[in-house]
Amino acid sequence: MTTLILIPAYKEGKQIFKVISDIKTKVKISFEVLVIDDGSGDNTGFEAKRAGAKVLRHSINRGQGASLKTGVSFAIDHPNYDKVVFFDADGQMSAEEIPLLCQALDDGYDVALGSRFLGKVIDMPPIKRLTLKLALIFTRLTSGLRLTDTHNGFQAWKVEALKKINLTQDRMAYASQIINEVSRCQLKFKEVPVTIRYTEYSKAKGQSIGNSIKILWDLFIK
Amino acid sequence: MLIQFILLLIIIVIVFWLVVKFRSGHINGWQFTVWLGIWLVASAAIINPSWTNSLANVVGVGRGADLVFYVAIVTLFYGIFKLLLRIENLEKQLTQFVREQTINEHKEE
Repeated sequence: MTTLILIPAYKEGKQIFKVISDIKTKVKISFEVLVIDDGSGDNTGFEAKRAGAKVLRHSINRGQGASLKTGVSFAIDHPNYDKVVFFDADGQMSAEEIPLLCQALDDGYDVALGSRFLGKVIDMPPIKRLTLKLALIFTRLTSGLRLTDTHNGFQAWKVEALKKINLTQDRMAYASQIINEVSRCQLKFKEVPVTIRYTEYSKAKGQSIGNSIKILWDLFIK
Repeated sequence: MLIQFILLLIIIVIVFWLVVKFRSGHINGWQFTVWLGIWLVASAAIINPSWTNSLANVVGVGRGADLVFYVAIVTLFYGIFKLLLRIENLEKQLTQFVREQTINEHKEE
């Protein structure tokens, strides 16, 4: 059985080759990389293929949540995958920590949730830290789970667990919804310390504070 | 009054546009009837404002203009809510379509 490393990517042509190469160099378990090119319109798909990844391409941009769900559908359709790792395309995450999350699944957990606050955060903007802490309180209220981190896209899932959850949020609100689904489906989860490194590139690509309001709108109104 | 003339002119243009849309098949008979009814009631209220005053008194609102304003606000908010639901539904269908297209393209490769 193989682990599928799933990378949703939107206009990541400058970074994606390096991110995939890094995974290939540092990860020693059996894996394949799948990039969902979310209607980028640049060379994201080309660069990902050049780095040796499988690429599925959304003809138009549908959001990170929609891209992940496309990748999840792909994984469920292919019985050779038993685990899926969610990984970002902007270089914030550390490829060498992928096996740590997979190990948690081998230890019997359904889901391994990366936690930057149990692990290490490098160069996080203060406003981002504040927003995440507020989001954490919100997540505790909506899911009832006492997590140390939320909206951390670095996760590993057993495919069997992915079959149980229902993701309907196309955009960033999926990150809250996925935690709610862990709670609703009573999945066995473990938080794993991970390193998140904020770079100028990732900060420019990342979520603005205004998006927090959009996420709340999506969760409550949609 | 000039304002009555202007408002009626606008409604005539809208009704003309409504007929064009109906005849070209962009809206069905039911939609045409409902919208025509709304604009006819609006025209009646413009031509005879005392009519809305009488109605306002019946429901306990001081002036007809206030009653029209309240009804318009509620109707607009309801319309926006319905539109949001419809847009959200379309978004979900679009995502599903794009996902199926993406996965099918991969199968064909």
